[in-house]
Amino acid sequence: MNARQNADVEILKLARLVGVESEDLRYFEQVDAQDIRDLRDQVTVVMFDADRQMLQRVANATRLIPIKLAAVIGEQAFGPLLCARVTGLLEPSRAVDIARHLPTEFLASLAVQLDPRRASRVIAEMPADQIAAIARVLARREEHIAMGRLVSHLSKASLAAALDVVDDEALLKTAYVMESKSSIGALVALLSAERLEQIIRTASSAGLWPEALEVLRYVSDDQRGWLGDLAAGLEDEVLDSMVRAAQADDLWASVLPVTRAMSHESRERFAGLASVQTRPVLATIVDAAAQEALWAELLVLLPVLPPAARRRVAALATAFGRSVFEGILDAAHEHDLWSPLILFAVELEKPAQKRIAESLGGLEDDAVDGLLAEVYNERLEVELLGIIAQLALAGQKRVAKRLADRADEDILAVLVQAAEDNSFAPLQKAAKST
Amino acid sequence: MNENAERILKSELGGKAPHGMDGLTEADMAGFAGILHDAKRRQSQALEEAVDEALEIVPRLLRGAIRRILFG
Repeated sequence: MNARQNADVEILKLARLVGVESEDLRYFEQVDAQDIRDLRDQVTVVMFDADRQMLQRVANATRLIPIKLAAVIGEQAFGPLLCARVTGLLEPSRAVDIARHLPTEFLASLAVQLDPRRASRVIAEMPADQIAAIARVLARREEHIAMGRLVSHLSKASLAAALDVVDDEALLKTAYVMESKSSIGALVALLSAERLEQIIRTASSAGLWPEALEVLRYVSDDQRGWLGDLAAGLEDEVLDSMVRAAQADDLWASVLPVTRAMSHESRERFAGLASVQTRPVLATIVDAAAQEALWAELLVLLPVLPPAARRRVAALATAFGRSVFEGILDAAHEHDLWSPLILFAVELEKPAQKRIAESLGGLEDDAVDGLLAEVYNERLEVELLGIIAQLALAGQKRVAKRLADRADEDILAVLVQAAEDNSFAPLQKAAKST
Repeated sequence: MNENAERILKSELGGKAPHGMDGLTEADMAGFAGILHDAKRRQSQALEEAVDEALEIVPRLLRGAIRRILFG
């Protein structure tokens, strides 16, 4: 969700709390979403504190009357808003008992007004079938924000029951505005592969990719990979619609981590899509990687792109400065991706290779060790020397010495052999001096 | 933020000034303070009416005890 959408959701929540329309609070559009949320927290406290004494007395008086009568009074005299205020002040088991005698439509209205943090135990102790019935009404009323505030307070059984009755569109819209994003993983864990595939298809057919991709930002890496694999198993049409949405709504920063987490086969399937391989799409992907430092995501994608698409990325990367390449080298080191980096580097034009070679000279010891180990394992010594050869002689000598100093006997042997085969004197000299 | 508008809103918020509201005009700030004031007033009024109505519904036998809890 972008900053503007975040602010819109917060404005709606604040408006509901003070009993006005969002339009009446449009001036908050220029305020940061987190600041609006903090203000809402303050207002919540103030609204409760304003009548705290009387609300507490009402809660106390409820103990004296039979449950059924409490429900009648709640519905007929107090209404959903005041009942919502009192809920958190009641003994949770009594609140649950009273709720048993209230109509679902009324409870749904109450849920919209409830501050879930003040009634967390009540929500958690509600029977799953009643929660499901309330969820069905809230979904029908398109109360996604209210649902999103409640999710993290539901018991596992209630959440599962609610998921069964809420359709895919409502589910995606609710997850999008969920207050506690950390609960999204638990929610996804309760859904079957079939249901998730259905939800992905709905994201495609109903134009809800921004919502679906927002969800993917908050799941675990394993779940992200699994969901990516499920998506990759669907028809081209579904994946193409995601590419179009990512392009139109600037969502590549959400898509790229998914492509990294998915299996190699799924990644190949994704990279093989004609819609991904166009120059505008690749340019936007590279931009997103640069803006969000998603270099590891780009590096794992590169080897599975068809050669023509990879050359397009290489052409785009030619404009990168040395600091950008240093960021890419850091990602290669951190995520053990030296091999795709080197193979990509050899496809770059010579000035870009030179900037990479310069950056190689500034690597920390452990990064050099990682690079050398991967060069040895993948037999990339010729490619590595080819990159270093783009430097002026002094630079070649400096980088060659750096590598020779860190290389163990076996690695040094293959480097020297490659240097001999390719007449790369600086490394032969550096090896002799170690 | 205008100091007067900030003071009014701070008062409605129970004495604590909100953060990050620098972009709001004095009119916006005062407008929101008014909305908050009205919301609290409406809630108190609704609660008062609800309590009266509830006492009508409660059986006569319990009414005295409930009234004592509610009004001391």
